[in-house]
Amino acid sequence: MKLRPGSFSWLAAHDLRQTWRGFDAALGGLTRAKAAMLAGAVIGLHAFFWWGLRHYGEVADDARLSPYIALGALFVLPGIVAQAVTAATRALYAHGDLDLLFASPISARAVLGSKAVAIAANAIAWFAILLLPLANVNALAGHFHWLAVYPALLACGLFGTGIGIGLALALFAAVGPRRARLVSQIAATVVGASFMLGLQGYALAPGARASLARAMQSSIDNQWLDWRGWLSLPARAAEGDVQALGVWMIVAAGVFAAATFALGESFARAAIISAGAPPPSGRKRKPRAFRASLGATMRSKERRLILRDPWLISQIALQVVYMAPVSFVLWRNGGATGSPGVVFAPLIVVVGAQLAGSLAWLALSGEDAPDLLRAAPVSPGRIERHKIEAILAPVAIVLCGPVVALALVSPWSGFWAGLFTLGASVSAALLNLWRQSPSRRSRVLQRHSQSKIVGMIEHVLSIVWAVGAAMAVMGSWSALIPVAAACLILRLSRSRTARLSFAAGA
Amino acid sequence: MRDIDDGAHPPALILRGLRKSFAKTAVDGLNLTVRAGELYALLGPNGAGKTTTLRMVAGLLPPDSGEIEVFGVDARRRPLEAKRVMAWLPDEPTLYDKLDPLEYLEFVAGLWGAEPRRAQRLADELLETLGLWEHRRERCEGFSRGMKQKLALAGALVHEPRLLMLDEPLTGLDAAVARQVKDLLAARVKEGATIILTTHILEVAERLADRIGIIQRGRLIAEGTLVELRGAGGRDHASLEEIFLHLTAPGERAA
Repeated sequence: MKLRPGSFSWLAAHDLRQTWRGFDAALGGLTRAKAAMLAGAVIGLHAFFWWGLRHYGEVADDARLSPYIALGALFVLPGIVAQAVTAATRALYAHGDLDLLFASPISARAVLGSKAVAIAANAIAWFAILLLPLANVNALAGHFHWLAVYPALLACGLFGTGIGIGLALALFAAVGPRRARLVSQIAATVVGASFMLGLQGYALAPGARASLARAMQSSIDNQWLDWRGWLSLPARAAEGDVQALGVWMIVAAGVFAAATFALGESFARAAIISAGAPPPSGRKRKPRAFRASLGATMRSKERRLILRDPWLISQIALQVVYMAPVSFVLWRNGGATGSPGVVFAPLIVVVGAQLAGSLAWLALSGEDAPDLLRAAPVSPGRIERHKIEAILAPVAIVLCGPVVALALVSPWSGFWAGLFTLGASVSAALLNLWRQSPSRRSRVLQRHSQSKIVGMIEHVLSIVWAVGAAMAVMGSWSALIPVAAACLILRLSRSRTARLSFAAGA
Repeated sequence: MRDIDDGAHPPALILRGLRKSFAKTAVDGLNLTVRAGELYALLGPNGAGKTTTLRMVAGLLPPDSGEIEVFGVDARRRPLEAKRVMAWLPDEPTLYDKLDPLEYLEFVAGLWGAEPRRAQRLADELLETLGLWEHRRERCEGFSRGMKQKLALAGALVHEPRLLMLDEPLTGLDAAVARQVKDLLAARVKEGATIILTTHILEVAERLADRIGIIQRGRLIAEGTLVELRGAGGRDHASLEEIFLHLTAPGERAA
C-alpha cells in the first residue's frame, strides 16, 4: 500500500523505519544468521516458559496469578514512561530531523504524533520480547485469557508514551532548556527504577503479596468507584477482564491522542528554544593555576568529561540500580544461611567489574580527540596508565560504601570483597585497553554490540572473579583457581593486532 | 623577504623518499625540505597526498618507507622527541565538548609538558587575541565552527611548538576570523616558528608563504617562491592560480 506523501501515516511510517534502522544498526546489521539466532532465542524463550508452566503449573491458577500480573503491569508502565521521557528529551536536544520537519508545511501535531508512534513501538517491542512468549505459552496450555496481554501491552505502550512525553515537556517548561536535559534524565532513571524499588518493598514486606491480591480483588468487587479499581486497571486488563481491558484501551488511546494533539505546539516550541539554548556554563570558579603533572591533568580531564555528562551518569547508574533487587533476594537468602558475605561479596565484585568496564571503555575507546593524544610527546603506555588510574578512582568511591558495610558485619568478607573487586576492575580495564573499539561516548551501553567477543569475555571475567570472591569468603584455598582462570583469560584475550591505542604512528 | 635558515641550524623538516600506500599510492617517494623559520604552503589538488604527508610527520600514520627528520631528529626512531617540538592542527578540529577553553588549553599544555605558569599566561593571551576570552568558561559544545577552529589553533600554539603544521586552517572561517588567524600565523613566523600549511585558498599561499610546494599524485612537482614558480612556468605575470592550474593540468609533467 502506497501512503500519501505528507500524510500522518506516511510520516509515522518514516519514523518507524528510522526506529527499525536504529535497531538494525545496534545489531551491527541484521544478517540472515543473526535473524535466525533471534528467532531461535524467541523459540527458546517459549520453550523455557513451557518448561516453567509444566513444573510450576499451579502458578497459573487464576486466583494466585493476580499479584504476578499486577507486578508485570508495575514493571511495564514505569519502563515505558521512562523510555518515552528519555526519547522525547533526546529528540528535543539532538534535533536530528526536527529542523527539516518544522521547516516543512507539516503540522507540529503530526510531527509529535509520528515521533510518539515510533517511541511507543520501540518501547512496546522491548517488553513484547519477554511478555508475549509467556502469553503464547499460557494460551497454548488452554488459558486463552492470557491473550489479553497483547492488547493490554499495546495500551500500556500508548498510555506510557503519552504520559512520558507530557512529563518531558512539563519538565522542560518547569526548569527551562538549560537544565531540562539533566532533570529529565534523572526523572527517567527514577521512574524506570521505581519498579525495582517497588519490587524490593514487595520482597521485604511479608504480607505484600496477600495485600496486593486483596487490593485487586476488592477493586473488582467495588467496581469503578474505588480508586484502587483505576490503579489496578492495567493489571486486570492484562488478566483478561474484558470490561477492564476495554476501558484500559479507551483510556490509553485517549491519553496518547490527547498528549500528541494538545502538546504538538509545545513540542515544536520546546524544540526551537532548545536549539537556541546556550549549553550549561561552567560554575563561576576562581582562576586556578594550570597543573604541572601530566597524570593530574589527564585524571582531571577524564573526571570532568564523565561528571559533566548526565546522560552517561544516568546510564551507568541504571546498571547499578538494576542490580539492587538481586541484592535483596540474595540478602534474604544469605540471611537465611547466616553468611551474607558469601552472597554479597560476589555481587559487589560483579557491580565493580561492570562499572569499571563501562568507565574504561569511555576513557579508552570513547576518546573524543585520539589524534591529539597520538600527536603528543607522551608514550602511549603512560597515557593509558593515567586513564586507568582515572577510572579506578570513581569505582573505588562508589563501592567503598558496600565494602565497608560488609566489613562491619564480617571483616574478612569485606576484605575479600575489596580485594576481588580490585582484581575484577583492573581486569575489566585491561580488557578494554587491549581490545579497544572506538566509538562515540553516547554508545557506552551498546559498546558490546560492536565487539561481541569483548562483551562475552567481560561477563565471563566478572563471573569468574565473583566465584573466586565467594570461595575466598568461605575460606577455601580453591579461590586461587578462579583467580588463575581470570589471569589466563586475560592473557589469552590480549591481542596485539586488536590494540588501537594511542601508539606513536611513526 | 625575511631571512630564513642561515645554514647554522638544521632545517625544520626533511622528508626523504617518503612513501605511503592505501588501496593506491598516496605518497610516492616524496622528497621535501622546509627551512627553519619559513612559512611553507603545500598545495595540490584533492587526493594529492598533502594531508597524508603531514599526518605521517605528526606521527599519526606510519609511513611504508622513507625518512622524516624534524630539526635534525629522526622522527621514525625517536617519535616522542620529534613530537615535543611539533604541533598538528587537523582540518576538522577535535575538541572535548564538555571542557571549557581554559581546561582544554591546560590539558594540551599538560600533554606537551609545557611549564604551567608560562602556558597559563600564553593561554590567556591566545584567548584574548583570538576573541575567546569572554567564552573561556563556556563549554565547547555550544561553539560555532569558527570558535572551535580558533580554540584548536590556540591549543596548537599554547606549548610554543617550533614547527606548526596546519591542514586547511582557513576553511569554513568567515573573513574576520580568517584575518585573525592569518595575523596570528604571520606573528608566529616573525617570532621564529616554522609553519607548514595546506590550503585550497591560493590567495593565502600567495600572500603569506615564503615558499610554495605543489604536489600531485604524492610527488613534489614544483617548489619555490612565487617569483621562482612564475619563472619555472615561463609565465612572468601569472597569478598563483594560473600557475597551479597549469602545473596540475592532466597530462602536464613539471619538474
